[in-house]
Amino acid sequence: MDTPPQPSLPAATRRSPGALNPFRAQSRQRLLRADLLTVLAWASVAGAAALWLADGGATGFSTPAGSLTALGIVAGLTGMDLVVLMLLLAARLPFIDRTVGHDRALQYHRQLGKPALYLLLAHGVLLAVGDGMAEGLDPLSELAALWAVVPDMWLAIVSIGLFIAVVVSSVVAVRRRFPYEFWYAVHLLTYAAVLTAIPHQFSVGGLFAEGTWQRWYWLALCIGTGAALLHYRVLEPIIATFRHQLRVRRVVPEAPGVVSIEMTGRHLNELAGSGGRFFIWRFLAPGQWWHPHPFSLSAEPVRFDAAGAGMLRITVRNLGRGSARLVALRPGTKVAVEGPYGLFNTASRSRGKVVMIGAGIGITPLRALLEGTPFSPGNATVLLRGHSDSELYLGDEILDLCRRRGATLFHLTGARAAGGHSWMPESAVRAGHRLTSYAPDIADSDVYICGPTAWAGNVIRAARSAGVRQDQLHYERFDW
Amino acid sequence: MRIRAAISAALASAGILLVGWQSGTHVAVTGSSAVGTSAGTSGAKGSNETTSGSSGSSGPASSSGSGSVGAAAKAAGTYAGSVVRTRYGTVQVQITVKAGAITDVTALKLTDAERKSVQISSRAAPLLRTEVIRAQSANVQTISGATVTSEAYLGSLQAAIDAANL
Repeated sequence: MDTPPQPSLPAATRRSPGALNPFRAQSRQRLLRADLLTVLAWASVAGAAALWLADGGATGFSTPAGSLTALGIVAGLTGMDLVVLMLLLAARLPFIDRTVGHDRALQYHRQLGKPALYLLLAHGVLLAVGDGMAEGLDPLSELAALWAVVPDMWLAIVSIGLFIAVVVSSVVAVRRRFPYEFWYAVHLLTYAAVLTAIPHQFSVGGLFAEGTWQRWYWLALCIGTGAALLHYRVLEPIIATFRHQLRVRRVVPEAPGVVSIEMTGRHLNELAGSGGRFFIWRFLAPGQWWHPHPFSLSAEPVRFDAAGAGMLRITVRNLGRGSARLVALRPGTKVAVEGPYGLFNTASRSRGKVVMIGAGIGITPLRALLEGTPFSPGNATVLLRGHSDSELYLGDEILDLCRRRGATLFHLTGARAAGGHSWMPESAVRAGHRLTSYAPDIADSDVYICGPTAWAGNVIRAARSAGVRQDQLHYERFDW
Repeated sequence: MRIRAAISAALASAGILLVGWQSGTHVAVTGSSAVGTSAGTSGAKGSNETTSGSSGSSGPASSSGSGSVGAAAKAAGTYAGSVVRTRYGTVQVQITVKAGAITDVTALKLTDAERKSVQISSRAAPLLRTEVIRAQSANVQTISGATVTSEAYLGSLQAAIDAANL
C-alpha cells in the first residue's frame, strides 16, 4: 500500500554509506557554545541575587516587613537582570547569532518578557507593602511618599508603567498582527523604560552605593549592554551600508506577485557563504526608506571581479503593504543593509546528509543553501511544497542545481490535506506517504525548514517523530 | 547536551548564591557591630541632643561648648547643627571651629532607621566630613547612593555653620 513516491529528479548516484561527518566538530562546538550561553544566563540571574546576599541582605528576613522588602529587592534585581538578558538577545550579538540563530534568540527574548514583567511588578508591590509596613503606611501612601520624597523614585514608578505598556502592547500586537512599525515603535519605549529604571537602582537602597564592588558590577552590566546594542544595532549596520554601497540593479518578475531584486555592491566577497541567511533591507527611495524588510538571500553572492564587486539577490513575494512597493523599485536605488543574520546556512550543519523542505516563498532561501552547502551527490533531498507548480518559486533554478549537484528533488503540489495537521498535499496523505518516504535517512540528516509558521510547525512535528533531534532542525520563520 | 547545560547552570547558580550568602553573613556580622558602636555614641551624645532641645527639620541651631553665639564670631569651639528628620531616621552634626576654620565634623546622629541605613550613612559620613573640611562650607556634592543622608547632613551642617557665624 505504501508505494514509494516518484522523485521529480532522482539523485545522480546512489547514497554512499555514511563515511566521515565533516560537520561533527562544528556541531559539537556550537552545542558547547549554546550550553555556555545557558549557563551564563542562569549564572547572571543567580549573580543578581548574590549581589544582594553578599551585602548582608538575608538579615532582612528577621521581620515580616523586612522579609517583604527583601523579596522585593531580589525580585527587582533578578527582574532587571532578565531585562538585560532580553536586550542582549535582541542585540544581534554575533556570538549568540552563530550559536542559536536570530530566530531562536528572539524566541528566548519573547519568552523572558512575561517573567521579567512579573518580577518587576512584584518588586514594586512588595517594596510598597514592605516599606509601608515598616513605616506604618498603606502601600499607596508609601508609593506616594516614595514618589515625592526619595530622589529618582518617581522615575522608577514611571518606568514600571512603561514596562507594563510595552509588554501588554507587544502581546496584543502579536495577537492582532499590527503592522511591524507599530510593534517597532512600542519596542523603542523599552529603552525609555530601562533608562528611567536605572537611576533609582544606584541612588536608592545603597546596594550599589559608591565604593562598593556591586556598583562596579552593575555599572559594567548596564554600560556593556548599552554599548552592545549601540554597536551591533546602530554602528555595524551603518558600517555595512557604507562598505557595501548596495544599489538596485534590476527587479525581475519570477511569478505573479513575486520578484527577484538584484543589487550590486562592493566587498561582497566578505559575504560569501551567507546565501540563505537574511539581511534587513531598507530601500532608500521616497516613502519607503524607513521601512525595514527582513529578507533572505535567494542565491549565494555573485562575485564580478577580484576586488570583491558583485551582486546579491533576494526573492520576495507581495506579502504586505511595504512589499508591494518593492515591485516598482527603480534601478539605481541605494540600499541600506543590516546583516547577515541567522543560522540558515552551512554554519549550522551537523551531519553529512541534508534535507531541505520549503513552502511558498520559503523555498527561496533553500535555493541559496542548495547552491552553497557541501554534500556529496546523493546525500541531499529537496522537498518543495506549493499549491501548483507555478508556486514553486525559482523551481527551474532548483531543478538545475539538483541536477548538477546530485540532489533528489520532490515537488509536492496540490491542495492541503483536510484537518490542517499535515504538511503534505492531500494526494500524498491519501497515498500513505510520510516524511521518511521522501527522505529515508532523515534521522541522520540536517533538516532545513522554511515556510509559513503553521506549516513549518507541522513539518517539525513530522521530523521529530521520524527521529530527528532538535539540534538537527534548522528553521526560519517569515512572519516575525 | 541540554542535560549538561541544565546541570552546569544549576551548579553555577548554586555556587554563586552560596558565595554571595557566605560573604553576606560576614557583612552582616560586621554590620551589626557597627550598629553597636553607633548606638553607643549616639547614646553618649543623647543628653547633648536633648539639652539642645532642637527638633524638626527647620529647628533653630543650637551651639554648645565654649563658643558663644553672635558677637564672638570666628571663636573656637563646637557648634551643633539642627536636627534634620528623614524617612530613614534623624541626622545631626556638630562642627569644631578653630581660628575661623572648620577643623572637624562630628556626626551626633545619623540615619539609622534600619540596618541598611546604618550601612549607608556610615559609608557616606566620612566622605562628607572630608569634603566639608576641604570646602569649608556645606556647599559640597551629595554622595550618590546616600542622597537623603547627605542632604540631611549638609542641612544640619549649614545650621551649625550659621551658628558659628563663619
